[in-house]
Amino acid sequence: MAESDADLTKTYDAIVIGSGAAGGMASHVLTSHGLKVLLLEAGKKLPIEKELRSMEWPYDNAYRGMLPPDQHSLTFNEYTIRNPPYGPGFEKAKHLKSYVGSSDYVKNIVVDERENPFTGTNYAWVRARCLGGKTNIWGRLALRLSDYDFKAKDRDGFGENWPISYSDIAPYYDKVDLYLGITGVKENLPYLPDSLFQRPTKLNCAEVTLKDSLAKMGRVLTQYRAGVTTDGLKHNKYRSRCYGRGACERKGGCDIHAAFDSPTGLIYPAADTGNLTIRTDAVVREITVDPQTGKATGAHFVDNQTLKDYSVKAKVVVLAASTLESARLLLLSKSRLHPNGLANSSGHVGHNFCEHIMGPGIAGRAKNLVGKPPTLDDGRPGGFYLTRFRNLAEKNPNFIRGYGFEGGSGSTMFPRGTDTHGFGAAFKEEVRKNQGAFIGMGAFGEVLARYENYVDLDPAVKDKWGIPALRFHYKFGDNEHRMAKDMKETAQEMFEAAGFEILHVSDRVLTEGWSIHELGTARMGSDPKTSVLNQFQQSHDVKNLFVVDGSAFVNASCQNPTWTIMSLCWRSCDYLAEELKRGNL
Amino acid sequence: MSKDDAMPKDQTKDFRQDRRQWLKASATVLGATLLPLPAVAAEPTQAPAATAPPKGASAAAAKSAIRFFTPAQHAFVDELAETIIPADDHSGGAKAAKVADYIDQALAESFDDAQKALWRDGLRLVDFMSRHYNGKSFVEATPEDRVAVLTVLSNNDHMTDLPEVRFFVELKRLTVRAYYTSKIGIHDELEYKGNRINQEFVGCDDQGGASS
Repeated sequence: MAESDADLTKTYDAIVIGSGAAGGMASHVLTSHGLKVLLLEAGKKLPIEKELRSMEWPYDNAYRGMLPPDQHSLTFNEYTIRNPPYGPGFEKAKHLKSYVGSSDYVKNIVVDERENPFTGTNYAWVRARCLGGKTNIWGRLALRLSDYDFKAKDRDGFGENWPISYSDIAPYYDKVDLYLGITGVKENLPYLPDSLFQRPTKLNCAEVTLKDSLAKMGRVLTQYRAGVTTDGLKHNKYRSRCYGRGACERKGGCDIHAAFDSPTGLIYPAADTGNLTIRTDAVVREITVDPQTGKATGAHFVDNQTLKDYSVKAKVVVLAASTLESARLLLLSKSRLHPNGLANSSGHVGHNFCEHIMGPGIAGRAKNLVGKPPTLDDGRPGGFYLTRFRNLAEKNPNFIRGYGFEGGSGSTMFPRGTDTHGFGAAFKEEVRKNQGAFIGMGAFGEVLARYENYVDLDPAVKDKWGIPALRFHYKFGDNEHRMAKDMKETAQEMFEAAGFEILHVSDRVLTEGWSIHELGTARMGSDPKTSVLNQFQQSHDVKNLFVVDGSAFVNASCQNPTWTIMSLCWRSCDYLAEELKRGNL
Repeated sequence: MSKDDAMPKDQTKDFRQDRRQWLKASATVLGATLLPLPAVAAEPTQAPAATAPPKGASAAAAKSAIRFFTPAQHAFVDELAETIIPADDHSGGAKAAKVADYIDQALAESFDDAQKALWRDGLRLVDFMSRHYNGKSFVEATPEDRVAVLTVLSNNDHMTDLPEVRFFVELKRLTVRAYYTSKIGIHDELEYKGNRINQEFVGCDDQGGASS
């Protein structure tokens, strides 16, 4: 699998563009069906364990784990007052990274913002160009969707239903659970189906207090459902089980790969079949088509390092470059037969762009834990998930759809209370005594999929490789802002009921994009006039083109999308392999 | 916690009555940046240019060398940081954790000229305040007098249009960052329990139960 040795002359059964959750899964499923697959990744294959160094102490790092001084990660204010591509007048560092790129452990995983410009409305667009993409550093919360999401239109009349039901995807959620490993506790909730869980993590004392208090209100707090193997996976030699080492919170990945990442979870096992060829540093600029039939024939890419152009061929093209990059590539692939871009006869490519709104949240203190001896609290992949409670049985008068909270409590390597006012002996003692007593949570809510939220190509700005940049036309709407207000109010009500002292509560909304859950730019549907893909993520227009990442989502739901991206992708790739064998593609 | 609760308990002087007057006169204080003050007189007119980030084995050596601050400024920052996080019965303070060395390294390598200027101006202004209130430079003042000077800034930490207040916020930020990522901060002060292999997850039952 040496990248430079990749055979670019033969015609592959399938080209997979992108190596994150979707591209990794497509590689796994298609190679397991015996297809010969070429995987194209725009970035490098990093020596990932050397990047992540999960157990390095801050004092053993030249920059205490922070970014080296020639690099700067964008702050909330900079996203709102500065316009990308951050040119002259913004020179406080040589390299600019998204807000995620704020540690020494992720600096090479996320892209340089100046090399990858975009224009239009504010957006915190987090991109990771390297083998595995964002799965190397994802938050790991792994949730299922339900028919409350797939058939949301039936409940409130907004948007479109998905062309599938929960029963269609449930067997594939099971396959993903078993193949990759997931930790959690069964709750039997109709709106948040259980997975096939491995050993659960444990709640600490403040979290138990909150859970018990919420139960009286009919609300559910459950252990963090993490895409982490806590029992190990006998079929995977690249991944260890979780040893609760902690430091998971420092926005880095897991160097023993207990947390799922695409390379060790999917791509290396796929390569072991002998059916996978990997070409990294392949920045795809166009999906090529046959000028007679209009079918996809392969891809043009430019080498990330040498800037040389290459052309590769395949019977089927599987696009998995991430929601926004996939939309960009479809729009870039214009031809005589596809004048609006590939797979875009509906005009919906780039539109119905949705995600999760975040920012509103709360921080408090469990007073009974102040001054207690220090405890081990961050030796877990996550704290808790407080499940959706709005618009289930009752209709909220102010907004449709729902939100959940992610949270945690207790001691962390870097203490939580350093924003305490003052200084001196009292400040020091305050931080020490309170370190185990903090509890906090933040909400993730559904942003409605609206046609008027979209991306297109900027007519002038190009990236480092000369490829037209994406232009954003995207804003949160009234429903989201009303929901954000409710998030704050319910957070306050729940912390008060639990008896916590509230230190900070806010309904401030973070910049669009902050959740890194962008979805929906090439949605599925039964009607080719209003959707881009069918229920198997196959283009209505181009039968041998599949788009298997988050762009296929019809709505965002309020659950984190990675597990659904991979389950949908598995289902679609099973179909693809069958159809290819039957000669239908 | 209210702001007043966070007031250092051991302080003997309270300049809060005076701070409104003093902040009003801040423009005059700014003029003081031109005065050559003993504690900062040795400062070179130009800071050394930012150097390449240290790599591998040279990183430790680079850390121990003072590169942004003059020796007098370094001693000053040592006392400022110790005033923010002092040694106590429980553990060592900012001096023992070599916080000033960390700040020196961060500033020496910083590409942010505004941040460097803030530190130079801030040191001058705080020293001027100490002379105004205590009749002594900050380094020469008693611990109580030092606390009293920083309390004026801490109690006005919302007035970030004033460079001396911005400096205090930045001083506290970097001191906190350096101290709680040091061996003393993590192991002696916080007695952090993580970052090791655990066979089992730890929960409330293992931590003595939910009730107090």
